[in-house]
Amino acid sequence: MTLVRLALSFIARRPAVWLLQVAMLAFGVWLVASLVLLERGIERRFAHDMAGVDLIVGAKGSPLQIVLSSLFAMDTPTGNIPLEQAQAIARNPLVAQAVPVSIGDNVGGFRIVGTTPAYADLYHAHLAHGRWWVKPLEAVAGATAARRLHLSVGDQFVGQHGLSGGEAHSATPFRVVGVLQPSGSIVDRLVLTDTSSVWKVHEGEDADAGAIPGLVAARHGREVTALLVKYRSAMGAVVLPQVVTAKPDLQAASPAVEVRRIARALGVGAEVLRWIAIALLLLAAGGFVVNLWVAIDQRRPELALLRVLGASRLRLVSLISLEAAILGLVGSVLGLALARLLMAGLESVAEQYGAEFALPPLGITEVLILSAGVILAVLAGLPAAILAGYIDPARELGRA
Amino acid sequence: MEAQANINADGSEPCALAVDGLVAGYAGRPVARLDRLRIGNGEAGLLLGPSGSGKTTLLLAMAGLAERISGNVLVAGVAPYSLSRHALDRFRGQTIGFVFQNVHLVAGLTLLQNVLLAAFATGVRQDPARARELIERLGVGAAADQRAEKLSRGQAQRAAIARALLLRPRLILADEPTSSLDDTACAAVAEVLRRSAHEEGAALLIATHDHRLRPHFSTIATVGTPT
Repeated sequence: MTLVRLALSFIARRPAVWLLQVAMLAFGVWLVASLVLLERGIERRFAHDMAGVDLIVGAKGSPLQIVLSSLFAMDTPTGNIPLEQAQAIARNPLVAQAVPVSIGDNVGGFRIVGTTPAYADLYHAHLAHGRWWVKPLEAVAGATAARRLHLSVGDQFVGQHGLSGGEAHSATPFRVVGVLQPSGSIVDRLVLTDTSSVWKVHEGEDADAGAIPGLVAARHGREVTALLVKYRSAMGAVVLPQVVTAKPDLQAASPAVEVRRIARALGVGAEVLRWIAIALLLLAAGGFVVNLWVAIDQRRPELALLRVLGASRLRLVSLISLEAAILGLVGSVLGLALARLLMAGLESVAEQYGAEFALPPLGITEVLILSAGVILAVLAGLPAAILAGYIDPARELGRA
Repeated sequence: MEAQANINADGSEPCALAVDGLVAGYAGRPVARLDRLRIGNGEAGLLLGPSGSGKTTLLLAMAGLAERISGNVLVAGVAPYSLSRHALDRFRGQTIGFVFQNVHLVAGLTLLQNVLLAAFATGVRQDPARARELIERLGVGAAADQRAEKLSRGQAQRAAIARALLLRPRLILADEPTSSLDDTACAAVAEVLRRSAHEEGAALLIATHDHRLRPHFSTIATVGTPT
């Protein structure tokens, strides 16, 4: 006979009530956990894809658009910037590293990015097979892109104009010379090539041929879409954006700032869900208060018996608190498991739509949510526990 | 333990129960009175009174669970109400065994678990071998692992007796153990209680309105009304 066993036998006596109660708590916990996991998953995704880039230099336009297009492979670029200007920025002593990106074509929906191998280094993406490109029209495919497109080293493919679908550049086929290992970042979903490949593909094209801005290399001189910049020191954060903005064609965009803006926009919806979750948890707690109270009230004679048999008040209070804690634990574990399951499902669905997000590993947050669920249940059971402590054996058994 | 430390001035063990002028009640309201009762160690006595006369209140007051408004009670030489709250809980658990009229067992637990509940509630070591032995002796050994709600009334009552005896108490207080039983069953229950209490060396006090029990007992006290 143990306290746990006794508490379990009390719970087992009203399975339907406690099933509902636990389900309610589980849903509350589930919603809270899902929100936290989703937020952290998105944050991780963004943080991962930001890859320590401090500043992006793009063509004049929306900074958000520049960040989305050049870092996260979403949205179209604002246009292109002249190569000389990009090089001038890269030579600035405050710049530790500058990686060019040129966007404009895709293969089977996966963006072709003209850049340097340093781009893959930003994401710690390493070659799985083959080698890096040494001349134009050689390409290295990201892990996901290679898998989906069935590309392996030696294969040829033709880029299509635009960021999905589009007219084929049949005259300038690419050859796959390398495939990357999965890195869990955006690189997995890209096909990388040399910047000059993009120029070569669009050589001789009319500037008006593309309907989407920035897709076409201008006739007058070489261009890149954006320049990913890492600062050499904190000074860079102060000076470089001003240097960039001073140029008439250039726009500076800070990934950190833009991501924060997105997060804030998403936050409104999350806020509503958060209140629903809190309401659910409060309802569950209310249910605990009432149902435990009713249960204790029905159990008065037995609890009185325990007192007569020598149990102290504290023992009864602990018994009821333990009962509440067990229910809270079951509800929270169930809720957390549901949340994980849902997120794992969401992860695979999101991946199919190209919006992968990174599910964080089990961690301190889960432990916190679990403890919060148990504490909530114990607090909700406190009135009943105190009621049990104050049961007067004489009054209960004297009536018999 | 303070309960065991009590020895009379002449070195003999104090008697299991000594009651003098006890007025018991709830919240300062007197309910029943018991002028004088002595039950020696291992002896048995009867507390007679009609239904609603306050027998249960008197029993509970002897165990420190109902209020002692006036008078004196010594259980194994100890005045329960002189103990601290915690010490009283322990004292009650270890020195007094209760058998109630209706509330016998905790549903959801097996018969054996219900017997062990006495040790669990008091917080002392649980001895399943002793519990089984008691259950066997009371003739419900076969039902030891059945759930309480599956037991017959008689089985449940025997389990309750086993539980009352588990910790080798000095005194068993039984509240209306024979009401609503036919004559044969009544005599049988009284006999089981007496015999098992005697075997365990515990004194026995049965509170009842059941006059059929009278012939079985020599020590008989009657519940009085408080003045």
